[in-house]
Amino acid sequence: MSELLRVNNLKKYFPVEQGLLTSRLSRKVKAVDDVSFTVNQGETLGLVGESGCGKSTTGRCLIKLLVPTSGTVEFEDRDVAKLRGRDLKAFRRDVQFIFQDPYASLNPRMTIGEIVSEPLVVHGIGTKTERRSQVQDLLKTVGLNPEHLNRYPHEFSGGQRQRIGIARSLALRPKLIICDEPVSALDVSIQAQIVNLLSDLQDEFGLTYVFIAHDLSVVRHISDRVAVMYLGKIVELGDWKNLYDAPHHPYTQSLLSAVPVPDPEKQKSRSRIILQGDVPSPIDPPTGCRFHTRCPIAQFPICSEQEPELREVAPGQRAACHFAKPMPIALG
Amino acid sequence: MSTLLEVRNLKTHFHTRDGVVKAVDGVNFNLEPGKTLAVVGESGSGKSVTALSIMRLIPKTTGVIGTDSDILFKGESVLGMDDAGVRSIRGNRIAMIFQDPMTSLNPVYRVGRQIGESLILHKGLKKKEADERAVELLDMVGIPHAGERAKDYPHQFSGGMRQRAMIAMALACDPDILIADEPTTALDVTIQAQILELMIELQERTGTAIIMITHDLGVVADMANEVMVMYAGKQIEYGTAEDVFYRPLHPYTWGLLESLPRHDVSEKGILLPITGQPPSLINVPSGCAFHPRCPYAKDVCHTQVPQLTSIEDGHSSACLFSGDPGFRRETASPSREVV
Repeated sequence: MSELLRVNNLKKYFPVEQGLLTSRLSRKVKAVDDVSFTVNQGETLGLVGESGCGKSTTGRCLIKLLVPTSGTVEFEDRDVAKLRGRDLKAFRRDVQFIFQDPYASLNPRMTIGEIVSEPLVVHGIGTKTERRSQVQDLLKTVGLNPEHLNRYPHEFSGGQRQRIGIARSLALRPKLIICDEPVSALDVSIQAQIVNLLSDLQDEFGLTYVFIAHDLSVVRHISDRVAVMYLGKIVELGDWKNLYDAPHHPYTQSLLSAVPVPDPEKQKSRSRIILQGDVPSPIDPPTGCRFHTRCPIAQFPICSEQEPELREVAPGQRAACHFAKPMPIALG
Repeated sequence: MSTLLEVRNLKTHFHTRDGVVKAVDGVNFNLEPGKTLAVVGESGSGKSVTALSIMRLIPKTTGVIGTDSDILFKGESVLGMDDAGVRSIRGNRIAMIFQDPMTSLNPVYRVGRQIGESLILHKGLKKKEADERAVELLDMVGIPHAGERAKDYPHQFSGGMRQRAMIAMALACDPDILIADEPTTALDVTIQAQILELMIELQERTGTAIIMITHDLGVVADMANEVMVMYAGKQIEYGTAEDVFYRPLHPYTWGLLESLPRHDVSEKGILLPITGQPPSLINVPSGCAFHPRCPYAKDVCHTQVPQLTSIEDGHSSACLFSGDPGFRRETASPSREVV
């Protein structure tokens, strides 16, 4: 198993806009704060966390939609930030993105054929007729009627539009696809169609995915390994089964216990860890462990002073907690 | 136990330029005091319109409620009331929480004042009394430092706190029925857990009946006594939570349960999605509206509209074959583990 993508100490800070009369010494939102992970060839890495944890910003940094404040992203052992010209174009071809909102990510004034063939046009691939037949093949691959290439996005439902977005991302035969909440705007029955489609495409084309989502059940279903983020940090990272069966970080444990199980008897009898309060602001994140303000097992002063390292807690599983210990949650 | 709310053959149709949208097409149910009814379905299935019809919030210009429809609150017809009558119930005896707490709070009024508004209107409280009561209510829904936070504007609240404020507002007049339309959909799971816990706790304390509209079957399993599954404006299954989760009758319910990824089973299951797309409500398929997506559809399903029929005690389904003893599926029994 070779590493396709390597992320080292990635940080992305956004300056906070200040008023005219207040101090111009700008404060910063630490959206992603020192995140490192690798993605192996052919696997799916799930990035999961609540809103504002930095999962989407991480995704955007991976494909150079955002320039990291510091740290590096290496794709096939080459620093993405240093790519220029032809190499950059090749990178753009190898790495694609699927967006959350299938309504906003398709240009309403372009036909489906134009949308799906645009990457081919940009990269100068094929003649017009070749592209047309390629587009038809792509539409067929994602389960749409190839005859529909002259239609416009508004003529399709949410799930069909997401298929169009997937067809577009496949057009250049990429190696890596970053999926940013690809199913969260869809109804459950359609969500399952798209999740299955993504799995089938992975098998067919040997794709590697970074799958960003807030839905823990969907992430578990599709991922080989899962990283849990909280306030710009990875708090736990591991093989899906270990992470869900024996979560070590108290945040992972409370997240899993918070997701209601679609089984009335089980759900009503299982105990929930209810976290107090809200996620603190990423402008002034708590000192020490960022989770200590809401953590049910925090001990002071260590948790509020010393930042825990992401350390190995079990084979293939790392957690950033001073008191990490396994606790089975999901089976309730 | 007396029935609190009876919905009889509710039909809410919207006349649009493209045709008549049958958003709700013949819905019946009863709600008992202190119980929670979950209304489940995908987008466009008519769950929100059902709620808005009960609240008499359907715009008169486009929306038409069928003449043979009726909604009885404590035996009195809500549909037959004049505007003053509706106002005396809405927000007072029947209150509603909406999905998006930001757009349902007025940004230019202080939170405490907004909560007190219904008390002034319905209970005749003085402004000062209403303000005091608003602080108590905010405290009850778990807002820390309620006295000061009551003076905040909605933008100073986080999403979870806004939803708590909405709940405080809805509960201000101690309603008999609380209609919650996707109350946690816009919230993160840890906040969702807080809000659901709060609703369960408040229900135990106040005895309010809840109509919980949601697409999240996990939330249903957590909250519901009874479940109504909707598809294309129609009720397709109705029963207790245990009936619907463990002994579902309708193929659409099977499909819903089987397309859910689960995190409570030790191995990854196989997702069996429902094929096709939800129908347009202008051109609802003939016969059973689910037939184009149903793997068991026969010719008769194309022509005959199935009625919601009681199959077992209190458990009904709108499928022509639900009465067949062999037409069963053990979907989500506690032991369901697909390896």
